[in-house]
Amino acid sequence: MIEVQNVTKRYGQHVAVDNVSFTVNDGEILGFLGPNGAGKSTTMNIITGYISATEGTVKIDGIDILDQPEEAKKRIGYLPEFPPLYMDMTVSEYLDFVCDIRKVSSAERKQSLERIMDIVKIDDVKGRLIKNLSKGYKQRVGVAQAMIGNPQVLVLDEPTVGLDPRQIIEMRDLIKKLGKSHTIILSSHILPEVSAVCDRIIIINKGKIVAAGTPANLSKHLGGGRLSLRVAAPEKQVMAALEQVPGVARVEPRGTFEPGTIDIVVDPDEEVDIRRPVFNALSHADCPILMMRPLDLSLEEIFMQVTTQESEVS
Amino acid sequence: MIGVYKKELKAYFSTPTGYVFMGFFLLIAGFFFAISNLFPMVANYNAMLSNLTFIFLIVVPILTMRLMAEEMRQKTDVLLLTSPLSVNEMVLGKYFAAVTVFLITLLITCLYPLMMSFFGDIAVWEIIGGYVGFFLLGSTFIAVGLFISSLTDNQVIAAVVTFSVLLLLWVMDALQSVVPTDIISGVVFASALVAAVAIWLYSATRNIYVSLVTAIAGGAAIAGVYIANKDIYTGFIGKALAWFSVLNRYNEFSLGILSLSPIVYYITFSAVFVFLTIRNIEKKRWS
Repeated sequence: MIEVQNVTKRYGQHVAVDNVSFTVNDGEILGFLGPNGAGKSTTMNIITGYISATEGTVKIDGIDILDQPEEAKKRIGYLPEFPPLYMDMTVSEYLDFVCDIRKVSSAERKQSLERIMDIVKIDDVKGRLIKNLSKGYKQRVGVAQAMIGNPQVLVLDEPTVGLDPRQIIEMRDLIKKLGKSHTIILSSHILPEVSAVCDRIIIINKGKIVAAGTPANLSKHLGGGRLSLRVAAPEKQVMAALEQVPGVARVEPRGTFEPGTIDIVVDPDEEVDIRRPVFNALSHADCPILMMRPLDLSLEEIFMQVTTQESEVS
Repeated sequence: MIGVYKKELKAYFSTPTGYVFMGFFLLIAGFFFAISNLFPMVANYNAMLSNLTFIFLIVVPILTMRLMAEEMRQKTDVLLLTSPLSVNEMVLGKYFAAVTVFLITLLITCLYPLMMSFFGDIAVWEIIGGYVGFFLLGSTFIAVGLFISSLTDNQVIAAVVTFSVLLLLWVMDALQSVVPTDIISGVVFASALVAAVAIWLYSATRNIYVSLVTAIAGGAAIAGVYIANKDIYTGFIGKALAWFSVLNRYNEFSLGILSLSPIVYYITFSAVFVFLTIRNIEKKRWS
C-alpha cells in the first residue's frame, strides 16, 4: 500500500531523514516510534507530499507522490502534529471546506460527513467555533478532517499528544476501529500507546531506522529468550544442576526474595528454547521450580536500548 | 479553486479584515467625492478617482497581509498542500477572493456617479474607462501584496513590506527625472538588468549553462545595439522606469482612453506576481 524507498531529506548539512525504506501493507497499523527530533514528522510530511524528499521515492498504492501528486494525495488523509484548523470557522464550516478541497461531490457529502462526525463523536459541537473547543475536541476534528474523502491511508502524527488519559484511551479505541478499514501510519513517542495499537513498529533515531518488527518480535528478539526462575533449593545445588544443561550460556543468581528460595536469571545460547531442559534438569536434581517466566524486554527497554546504544537491529 | 475562493471570501467577512478594508476605503472615497465633486459641483469624476489611487498604499496591505502569512503561522497550509489541490488553484483562489472584495467595494462607489447623474449629464464611457483602470491598478497591487504575504508567516511584516514596496512603485515616477541620462550609465543599467535576470535564472533552476547563455546573449544584444545605434542608451534608465511604472499607465484610463496595451500590461504584471507566489510556495517545499 505504502512503499517508502531510500528516502533522504537534507536541510543543508543537517540530515533529517537518512536513507529510510519500509513498506506498509494493506490494512496494517504501523507505529512510528522515536524520540523527539528523530525525523518522524519529516518522514510523515514526505509521505503525505507536504515536503519533498531530497532523494528516494514514496509510492501510495503504486502511485508516486511526486509524479502524480493529486492522485496520490486523494488516497491519504493526514493529521499533522498541529491539527490544521481554521480557528474562525465552525466545525461544520471547516469540514465542509475540507470536502471542497478534497473534491467530495455534493451528493455524498452530507452522508459521509454524518458518518465521520458519528465515528469521531463531534456531532454535538458541530455548530461551535473551533477556537472555543477543548484540545480533545480539536484533535478529533483533526482526525475527522483526515477521514474526509474516504482515503485508504491515514497518517496520524502524534494523535494523542496533549489529551487527558480518558481521551487518550478513546483516541486509541478510535484508531483501532479505523484500522479495520484503513491502512494507518501512526507516530508517537509514547510506548504503551504504540504497543497497544500497532501491528508493527518501526523505531527511528537520528533519521535512521534502528529496529523494526511486531511488538512481540521486537521484545523477544532483543530480550533473547532469557528466563527468570525462582527455585526452592540451595543456591549451589541449583547452579550445579543448571550448568549441566546444554544450551545454557550463563547463570546468574539474583538473591533471595522469598524465604527458602533463590531467584536466578538464565541466559540461553542464541535462539534456543531452554525451558524444557531447564525444567527437566532441576526436577532431576529435586529442586522444585516455583516460578519461571521469560524476561522479554518491555518496549521501553527496547527503545532505550536502540536509541541510546545505536545498536543496529533488523 | 472554488473551495479556497469561497473560504477566503467568507474569511474576509467573518473576521474584521473585510469590514475594515471596505469601511476605510468607502470613508476616504466618500470624503474625496464630497470635496472634489459634490461641494464644488464639478463633474470631473475621473480626476477624483485618479487622486484616490493613493488609497491603495494603505488598504491593499490590509487586504493581502493575511492571505498566505496566516496559513503558514497557523500551519493550515499543511491541509491545503496535502489535499488533492494544486498550488495554482490555491493561490488563484486566494487572489480572486481578494480581488472580489475589492470589486464589491468598487461597485458600491458606483453610487457616486449615479448621484451625479441626477444633477446633469455625466460622461458615462469616460467614467467606465476610469473604473476599469482603477480596478486593474488595484488588482495589480493585490498581486504584489499576495506575493509578499507568501514570503513571511508574520502578518505585520507582510503589511509593512507591502506598504513599502507599493510606496516604491509610487515614487518611481519621481525618480525618472533625477536618474542619469548619459549613454554609459544606460549601458551599465542594461548590463545590470541582464545580470539580474541571469542570477535569478540560476537561483531558480540551478542550471549554470542556461544562466550563462542568457547572460552572454544579453551581453551580445547590448553590445550589438550599442554598435548599431548607441543613442538608444541616452536616457535609457528613465525610459525603462517609465515603461515599468505602474502609475504612468493609469493616466490613459484617467483620460477615458481605453486602449489594449495598458490592460495587457496590468494583467501581465498581476500574472507575474501570482506566478512568483506559486513558485515561492513550491520552492519552500523543495528546499
